[in-house]
Amino acid sequence: MAGKRAAMAGEAVTGGALARLWRRVRAAFRSVRVETRFLLALWRVNLLSALEYRTAFISQVVGMMLNNAAFLVFWALFFERFPSVGGWGMPDMLQLFGMTATGFGLGVVLFGNALNLADIIADNGLDAYLALPRPVLLHVLAGKSRLSGWGDIATGVLCFALTADPGAAAWGRYAVAALASMTVFVSFLVVVASLTFGIGGASALSAQAIHAMLAFATYPLTIFDGTAKLMLMTVIPAAFIGAVPAEFVRGYSDRSLLQILAAAGVSLALAVVLFHRGLRRYESGGMAVSAG
Amino acid sequence: MSVGAAVERRVGGSQVRRSAAKYAAVVRTQLAHGLAYPGDLIMRSLTILIFMWVFIHLWRSTYAATGQTSVRGLTLNNTLWYLVLAESITLSKPRVATAIAQAVRDGSVAYQLSKPYSFLGYQAAVTVGDALVRGAVTVLLGGALVAVMVGPPPSMLGWPPAFAAVIAGWLIDFCMATLIGLMAFVVEDVAAFEWIYSKLILVLGGVLLPLDFLPDGFRRVAEALPFAYTTWAPARLFVSPDPALFVRLFGIQLAWLAGLALLVAIVHRQCTARLAVNGG
Amino acid sequence: MPAIVVDNLRKTFTAKRKSAGLAGSLKAMVRPDRTTVEAVQGLSFRMDDGELLGFIGPNGAGKSTTIKILTGILYPTSGTAEVLGFVPWRERRKLAYHIGTVFGQRSQLWPHLPAIDTLALFGKIYELDHRTVRRRIALLSEAFEITHLLETPVRKLSLGQRMRCEVAASLLHQPRLILLDEPSIGLDPVAKQRIRDMIIRMNAEEGVGVLLTSHDAGDIEALCKRVIIVNHGQIVYDDRVSALKRRYLTVKDVGVRFVEPIAGDVDIPGAEVVKVGGGGYGLKLRFDTTVTPAAELLAHIGALGGVEDVTISDPSLEDVIRVIYEQAAAGEAIRPADSSWPSVEPEGSEGAP
Repeated sequence: MAGKRAAMAGEAVTGGALARLWRRVRAAFRSVRVETRFLLALWRVNLLSALEYRTAFISQVVGMMLNNAAFLVFWALFFERFPSVGGWGMPDMLQLFGMTATGFGLGVVLFGNALNLADIIADNGLDAYLALPRPVLLHVLAGKSRLSGWGDIATGVLCFALTADPGAAAWGRYAVAALASMTVFVSFLVVVASLTFGIGGASALSAQAIHAMLAFATYPLTIFDGTAKLMLMTVIPAAFIGAVPAEFVRGYSDRSLLQILAAAGVSLALAVVLFHRGLRRYESGGMAVSAG
Repeated sequence: MSVGAAVERRVGGSQVRRSAAKYAAVVRTQLAHGLAYPGDLIMRSLTILIFMWVFIHLWRSTYAATGQTSVRGLTLNNTLWYLVLAESITLSKPRVATAIAQAVRDGSVAYQLSKPYSFLGYQAAVTVGDALVRGAVTVLLGGALVAVMVGPPPSMLGWPPAFAAVIAGWLIDFCMATLIGLMAFVVEDVAAFEWIYSKLILVLGGVLLPLDFLPDGFRRVAEALPFAYTTWAPARLFVSPDPALFVRLFGIQLAWLAGLALLVAIVHRQCTARLAVNGG
Repeated sequence: MPAIVVDNLRKTFTAKRKSAGLAGSLKAMVRPDRTTVEAVQGLSFRMDDGELLGFIGPNGAGKSTTIKILTGILYPTSGTAEVLGFVPWRERRKLAYHIGTVFGQRSQLWPHLPAIDTLALFGKIYELDHRTVRRRIALLSEAFEITHLLETPVRKLSLGQRMRCEVAASLLHQPRLILLDEPSIGLDPVAKQRIRDMIIRMNAEEGVGVLLTSHDAGDIEALCKRVIIVNHGQIVYDDRVSALKRRYLTVKDVGVRFVEPIAGDVDIPGAEVVKVGGGGYGLKLRFDTTVTPAAELLAHIGALGGVEDVTISDPSLEDVIRVIYEQAAAGEAIRPADSSWPSVEPEGSEGAP
């Protein structure tokens, strides 16, 4: 009798726990659906806003493509004089540059405020987002779109088209790599900006971090020795924005797929955790004295 | 003011001395201004450390791959010190075209209708003053890194002539940027032209790559254009302090400077004259 | 159910103090000086559901800090607060579904797009379905008279038109409480009145509570029945607007126009001569009703000569508020602000000479 009751109680417990878990999972799915719809609406508004000024849009895009072209000209001239450096030639450079440009471009088009997140935080710009019922980080990041990013995406696609194997498989790998690269890039920016919650004036630091990231992600990885390479995979994960995704696009391998997915996952988690930790500090007023 | 006056300005005269003293004062003020915010300055100068660190790795690998110690007359050490200078010159330049365009738009450029040199001369002095501060910090930081990781800088004997060439280079750049800025009289937004100009400097000015490494045809074209004399010439002189080279390159710089300054004066006069007639 | 209940709210900030120059910056990094600022010192008040409450104070008074705590942007150092039944800093997102905000100085509308696009986005932000959004837009655009403006890019609208769109947008999700911060700033008098009327109408029709902060006394007078004045982190007044004037200022301004110019020095016992003008035809006086009864003053004026016209005016709300700020700044005893303090004067007696 006691045993049966214990069994039923046991069932109630696990049944209850299972039901709770199922509710949680359903809530998570619902949340993903709601936030996706929200993001799409936000991106739509950004795009509409950009199309209002068609000429400015086009000139920004063309300008960015010319900008990238200048760097590619530099590399073309470089490889003219020095045909192979650490096993890299011009085609490798095109792939690397294209990959970084794609990741960067996607990042600034879809999550344009990532570049100036530090400034937004410093100016109490988060307050407006905090009064709204959507996740703050997502909302603030996607709240702006930088049109010049389309020029970077175009450059990236062009570089890919010029160097990749034909066929859908390559495009598929390119898409996956691009999304992973974008995730690492945006997450890196969020992590750097989240330092502003702790130190004042991290805006300048932010700018430097971006320069560093881009510099490292557009030079051949092989020129860097052991410790330097390690740094480029951790502290400033340039390797996972350019070189490793580019490698995956060149040819499928389990190893590179795993690497880029892991890098994307880890950097995203880090970004979310650090941002929310910083946000809690912000909400306790630990940052500044507000007037009035 | 006539073209004759423009020539006279460079030839000599007490007017020159007075003007020179005035402009020197402006430069000094900008220096003091720049030094007032050391924290900010140092932050911005981190960029040079990042670039130089990457360049050191790149060129080490590159030279190793060629198996030679010297390429086109430049050693690894030469190339990296070249890049320190080239980057410092470029990174420390203020955005002249935008400033001039702004002045055109808000009318301050027309104030000195009868004395174009005062306004533009002042702007030139401000530019050089700003650039000197940032340039000095940049060279020191970048140079320190290269000295530690690669090797010592070229002989100090070469530094003064190189310095003269750097100033001349900044002034040549100032003239070209001013011409772009003055386009604000005609064009709505000069940002696009400023951008194209900076790319031309990047590719043809030897900012990332000493022109010595370019294929011959390219190189001849680049050396015939003024862009090379903003950056490549001074950086090259720093690395190879050779009197004959100095005379040649500095001479070409002065020639370009004279021509461009003249052009600026003429364009400025045309524009402000048009303003006077049309009433702004 | 009260909309807001605040009890003994306190907020203290520690700020780092930095002296100028490089030495100062270095020292601040190693061993910073810290100063404590008590922005909010024991605030307590209530706001009823559907009430129109003014919340004002000079800059630095602790107003914005309190508002930030009520919206969940900041946590208090101590004390409790409940807004619409939620503890703001713990249930910020849940609360956000039920409140709206309007900032006079910062637009929430996307400037290059027509307002309707921002409204559609707000629909997504507050998870409203299409039908609800359409219905609300129809209702609000009629109430705020913006139907013809919805398709125009926001940057092309006049300030008044834009503010009407802003307030309408803040009500899209039918919040139970909206916070208005300087809603009429920069508007011309006609536009101001229009927007005030529309807010009053929405409050009456939908029962949405309004918490208003504004430096414009006209807003307070037109919109609010009750006002809370904060200074130095404390409440210095919490009562009806009508009582405010009566209780605090007993000074009145008098303007007189004489049939014939009065000659010589004018000296009226119990009153201060502000100005003699209009070639001797006009006289402006100021007097304290607790010192000189109005009847006595009028008699003195009559004695000066034939009076063609007399105007006696109450001080403006602006003057009243200024006096309160000055009193509080001068450290005078803060008169007890107790929202349950009964008001003795009956309605309608305001402004009677």
